[in-house]
Amino acid sequence: MSFIGKTGPDLKSLAPVAWLICLLLFNGMEAFAQDGDGNVPPAVEQDSDAAIEPSDSPQPVAAAGGIPDSEEAITQGRQLFNGNCKVCHAINEVVVGPALAGIHERRPVEWIHAFVKNSQKVIQSGDTYAVNLFNQYNKTQMPPFNFSDEEINSILAYIKNETDNPVQANSPAEAVDGNQQGGSGGGSGISSDYLAIIVAALLVVLLLVLVVLILVVAVLNKYLGQRADLDPADKEIVQGGVKVSDIVKSRPFIAFVIFLFVSILAKTVLDSLFLVGIQQGYQPEQPIAFSHKLHAGQYQINCNYCHTGVYKAKSANIPSVNICMNCHNTIKTESPEIQKLYSAVENNKPIEWVRIHNLPDLAYFNHSQHVNVGGVECQTCHGQIQEMEVVYQHAELTMGWCINCHRETEINAEGNEYYDKLVKLHNANTGEPFRVKDIGGLECSKCHY
Amino acid sequence: MLYKSELKSLAGCILVVAGLSACSANGDYPGTEYAPQMYHSVPYEPLSQITDESAGGWLSSSGNQTAEFYNSNPHNPNRMTMREPAENTVKRAGSLPYRYPKDTAGSTYYLDLAAQTLRNPLPENEEILAGGRLLYDNFCSPCHGGAGAGDGPVGEVYKGVPNFSAGRYAEMTEGHIFHVITHGQGRMWPYASQVDPEERWKIVRYVQTLQKQQ
Repeated sequence: MSFIGKTGPDLKSLAPVAWLICLLLFNGMEAFAQDGDGNVPPAVEQDSDAAIEPSDSPQPVAAAGGIPDSEEAITQGRQLFNGNCKVCHAINEVVVGPALAGIHERRPVEWIHAFVKNSQKVIQSGDTYAVNLFNQYNKTQMPPFNFSDEEINSILAYIKNETDNPVQANSPAEAVDGNQQGGSGGGSGISSDYLAIIVAALLVVLLLVLVVLILVVAVLNKYLGQRADLDPADKEIVQGGVKVSDIVKSRPFIAFVIFLFVSILAKTVLDSLFLVGIQQGYQPEQPIAFSHKLHAGQYQINCNYCHTGVYKAKSANIPSVNICMNCHNTIKTESPEIQKLYSAVENNKPIEWVRIHNLPDLAYFNHSQHVNVGGVECQTCHGQIQEMEVVYQHAELTMGWCINCHRETEINAEGNEYYDKLVKLHNANTGEPFRVKDIGGLECSKCHY
Repeated sequence: MLYKSELKSLAGCILVVAGLSACSANGDYPGTEYAPQMYHSVPYEPLSQITDESAGGWLSSSGNQTAEFYNSNPHNPNRMTMREPAENTVKRAGSLPYRYPKDTAGSTYYLDLAAQTLRNPLPENEEILAGGRLLYDNFCSPCHGGAGAGDGPVGEVYKGVPNFSAGRYAEMTEGHIFHVITHGQGRMWPYASQVDPEERWKIVRYVQTLQKQQ
């Protein structure tokens, strides 16, 4: 303890000196990093690359040597970058290859030229930086590009421009927020809370009016009762000709109440009886909180992308994990819900989604027949699936529901020779359009066999 | 009391209504089934799996069998009712399987081979193109964008999606495109499980029109 106490003051006295050295070093580096225009480049995330860089860097790169800064060069560079480089590189983040922000300061322009034209040659020549880079990025080869020196310089000009003037890109998260705000704001002019308050206030006012009216009637009655110059008929009215208890006890009133009660009860019982065997509204919790609203709605991924069987087979199919992994090998990898996908892949165990649409086995339904041949939209039966956070059964899936659609839906038999004669016969007999029921859509054995 | 019997029947009515309303589906409860024996499939149903051997036991008449709702194959992995096709089997109708394997990391041998040797077996006509367009819109456009500019809504998040009509991507051959759809390339994962070879060739036809656009 005493030892530390002794050295303590010494260290403290050294601290300002250390600070000074640090400051000097920092200033020196900044001076190095300054480009021709005297702009200080903003701090850029270079976590992965920094590891490779030798500790004594930044090297005195031929600052802005040969890199043009004209508008034309930057525009040309942007086009070339978007057309060729964007696949694997971004300015500020690691995509397949490293982030390119500040590359013109990290490496000499000649080295960049050589690497872009033939990266393998540079790596095979034993260049330490190139070899380290190659190993760090899982030995992914950067393909050779046939660019002229000017073209590479214009790309560098674009990268330099982006490095110096970072653009605030709209992140998708912000876009979502915007959408949601727009959605809730634009739905109905007044929010539901506000509406409830208005209704409550109205009710209170109406009650007050009622109380006042009753009071007025009572006062008037009292006043009239005190007067002696009324005829007997008027007196009867004033003294309350009709009593409430008389009405309540009257036979027609009791009969009416009983009738009302029995009919409401009967309707409720019948309605509930008709719900037996119908799973409309079934909304089970799924093993992964997958949102159709996000995937099919916001990102506009077609239903067919995951439900691969929908045009080809009886079942639309529930996607296997490899389809999820097409995107989620990269997107949202940290989310606990996405981690469930990874554990499914690692254990080679399918995800047990809960089936929502359980058509009774006594009826046959084929997706391809309806979607591919009939051209029925998914939403016709499944509802606005692209707006459902958690999917529920939208349709009744009863026989009446099926049959009704078969009765009403018109068929486009054009280009299908099979129906030519039938259409001709149909048109000769009736002026009605050609519907599903006319090609056997009401036959029992179409669906029950 | 005078009204006791009336009150009793009223309570009875309310109970009946409450009991019946519990039959309808709601949240995790699928609702009461009217004729469960006719609703549940006896043969294996590809997309449902009930592994509980006693599920629906109250309906079974014989004691020595698995219960009414049980529908799962104990001989399959994970007791699924579906299986993957046996390895190296060939679909009866349609094209032969694609033989070039995926390149090992760092090599582009088979990709180059495919790019040089493969030819599209499908004719170049409107029908094929329309089919290719539909498939492209369904499977590719989320990332690659409607016009192949790499600006699909998912691509914006996924990053690193090329523009078909720019740079060396405009020069890629039909064989190259086919191989990449089949096995993936770079950041793109394989799509062989989603589109069969004939569909891939249709997509190739359509992508080639996207490459040529300005």
